[in-house]
Amino acid sequence: MARARERAVGLALLLPGLLFSSLFGSFMAYAAVRGAEAHDPAIVLPLISLIATGVGISWMLSPLLAGVALSESHDVSRLLHFPLPLLTLVAASLVGNLLQPMVLAALPVLASLSLALSRSPAAFPFTLAGSLLSLLFLLAAAQVSGLLLHGLSRRRRFQDVAVFLVIGLGFLMSMAPIVLFSGGARFLGRVARGLVGSDLIAFSPFAWGLRAAVHAGRGEALAFLGWAGAQVAAIAGAAAASAALIERIYRGELELAGGGREEAGRAVMRLPGRIGTLLEKDLRVAWRDPATKATLFLSCATPLFWLFVFTRTSGELSPLSLAMLSMLVGASAFGNAFGLEGRGIALLFGFPVERWRILVAKNLSGFTLRLPGLVTLLVMASFLAPRVLLPAAAIGALSTFLVAAGGDNYVSILFPMVAARPGGNPYGGASAGSRGLGAAALGGLFFLATLVVAAPLVFLAWLPMLFELPVLWVVSLPLALAGAGAVYAMLVAGAARVLERRETDLLQRVLGEV
Amino acid sequence: MDHVSFRVARGRFFGFLGPNGAGKSTTIKMLTGLLRPTEGEATIEGHPLAKELLAVKRVIGVLPEELPLYERLTGEEYLHFAGRMYGLSREETRRRTDELLAFLSLEEERGKLIVDYSQGMRKKTALAAALIHSPRVLFLDEPLNGIDPISGRVVTDLLRRLAQKGVTMFFTSHVLDVAERLCDEVAIIDRGRLVAQGTLEQIRAQREVGQDATLEDVFLKLVAADVRREDLSWIG
Repeated sequence: MARARERAVGLALLLPGLLFSSLFGSFMAYAAVRGAEAHDPAIVLPLISLIATGVGISWMLSPLLAGVALSESHDVSRLLHFPLPLLTLVAASLVGNLLQPMVLAALPVLASLSLALSRSPAAFPFTLAGSLLSLLFLLAAAQVSGLLLHGLSRRRRFQDVAVFLVIGLGFLMSMAPIVLFSGGARFLGRVARGLVGSDLIAFSPFAWGLRAAVHAGRGEALAFLGWAGAQVAAIAGAAAASAALIERIYRGELELAGGGREEAGRAVMRLPGRIGTLLEKDLRVAWRDPATKATLFLSCATPLFWLFVFTRTSGELSPLSLAMLSMLVGASAFGNAFGLEGRGIALLFGFPVERWRILVAKNLSGFTLRLPGLVTLLVMASFLAPRVLLPAAAIGALSTFLVAAGGDNYVSILFPMVAARPGGNPYGGASAGSRGLGAAALGGLFFLATLVVAAPLVFLAWLPMLFELPVLWVVSLPLALAGAGAVYAMLVAGAARVLERRETDLLQRVLGEV
Repeated sequence: MDHVSFRVARGRFFGFLGPNGAGKSTTIKMLTGLLRPTEGEATIEGHPLAKELLAVKRVIGVLPEELPLYERLTGEEYLHFAGRMYGLSREETRRRTDELLAFLSLEEERGKLIVDYSQGMRKKTALAAALIHSPRVLFLDEPLNGIDPISGRVVTDLLRRLAQKGVTMFFTSHVLDVAERLCDEVAIIDRGRLVAQGTLEQIRAQREVGQDATLEDVFLKLVAADVRREDLSWIG
């Protein structure tokens, strides 16, 4: 029932967007083809081939690029024990895909494209047939890639790499505006013009049906038959490949990701004390968990983005901008002190360890995971601002972090996130990774309070700049850090008392047993 | 749970039995500080649970039914982590880890991440972690589920020896013949209420079942199970 409701809400949100993009895409396809025909009919074939190939590759790799498959490679493993031929399963999966929202949304675009390619009404059925053949090949190719990814993901190590790559690609995509504004658009344009000019994409099977459609529109029957035949053969080949993959993957005959046993390093926990042990555990777990490892790199994105914004006009970073940036990076401690634990929190609180130690260890882990962001800021600032400012920037960020981490402990205890059950949907129901509106409101208040409390400490760190006496940093920087340390100690002591009182409630909420 | 009250003497092998959903795991969660009871109290090894939670956690070892192990640690790392968190020295942790891994036949898998372990290996790793600090009370929720027969025998022999050395066992299981073999005393709960407690002989006498009745017979009688005996109409 809950899943059906989720699906209904998802569809309700998706449909208007799909409808709009389908209509807009149809208009654009028609206008682009007619425009290209009028401008230079010779570029229509390579241009359509290039676009079809781009769309085809993106569609095939959509699970990696977007984290969501645009069409499904149905998991037929549960059907294998029924007496059905494999090709029937492949065909059923392909037909099933024709009802996917993204596929339905593509149909008006293809119809509009076919209409634009048809120089006479009689040619339209043939141009449409060619376009649909391309779509069918795209679905068949996506099925092959989906099955390959599915087969590979049966190996945990490959799945880890894939998750890391997906997040890494997301990170690169988020950097795309910076790349495009920095001259990347011109480079991409040159590459596209080169590909269209040479028509190298003629060899791409994603375009063969559409090339047939172009020839059909021009009344070239022989060329239409040739390209359409090639596309039909490609579809049959992809379907056969899918059938072979299904058989071999699900019968365990295909070792897609190779063997190889993962050997971890030394098992002994090197860091001293229980805080050290807990920190070391967190770091080992974080480094081996692809999603958490990716956050190490993602933490660089915020400073890079803000550095780009702050230096866009002058190309330099002013001391005030650097001070603000250091506070922003430091305040990023707002997250979830127990986020790394998940359901392991029941284990953690099973150990007879004083709760303040757990909080300090968790804050240290959080700081270590955000260290790349601070290092990025300092490295970039060393090029964009006077290097004499770097110690003040580092201490400013560290002081803000201490205050923010101390405050975040309260939010983590009072509004914990529900951890997904083993094998459960990590994004569904109560496990949506959200701490709710109460936590958002309290988090917002704590964020403001962090900035208010940290501001005098950051001001103290930067004070020597006002007097232009850098030597005063010998006094001001340790003082700022000591002040932040004192605030942190008070906050942690209070949070530990709250944790002792609410430990059972916290566990019940994280484990979803309330 | 509905007014459940019982006492387990030190060094006893205590079986806590009941059908699915009876409240066995809930009781263990309450006794180990994972769930807060709405009322009532518990004392373990002289420490009141509500007031001295950390002291209780020092003396107990827990093998939960759900095994939320740190999947991105190796089995060996996990045991090192557990040992250090219980305050053992590095050397002592290493010694006990090596011994536990050998004892539970996990030596070959010591360098593998727990995420790649089978259910049985996870269970053995969690059991090793529950034992590493030499607890005085062991809470074992379905300890033999998913463990192969050889390891099962090794584990039951170990548990029996631990009980002989004075470690108190609080044990739940659906496998009643294992419970009958291991437990000195059992309690049977049904829908959150305690329906019987004592040695098997005492329960047999209280409930007027024959002296040759097995624990399974007694259990089925006490929880009023409706065991269907008719066949499916279309089979055969």
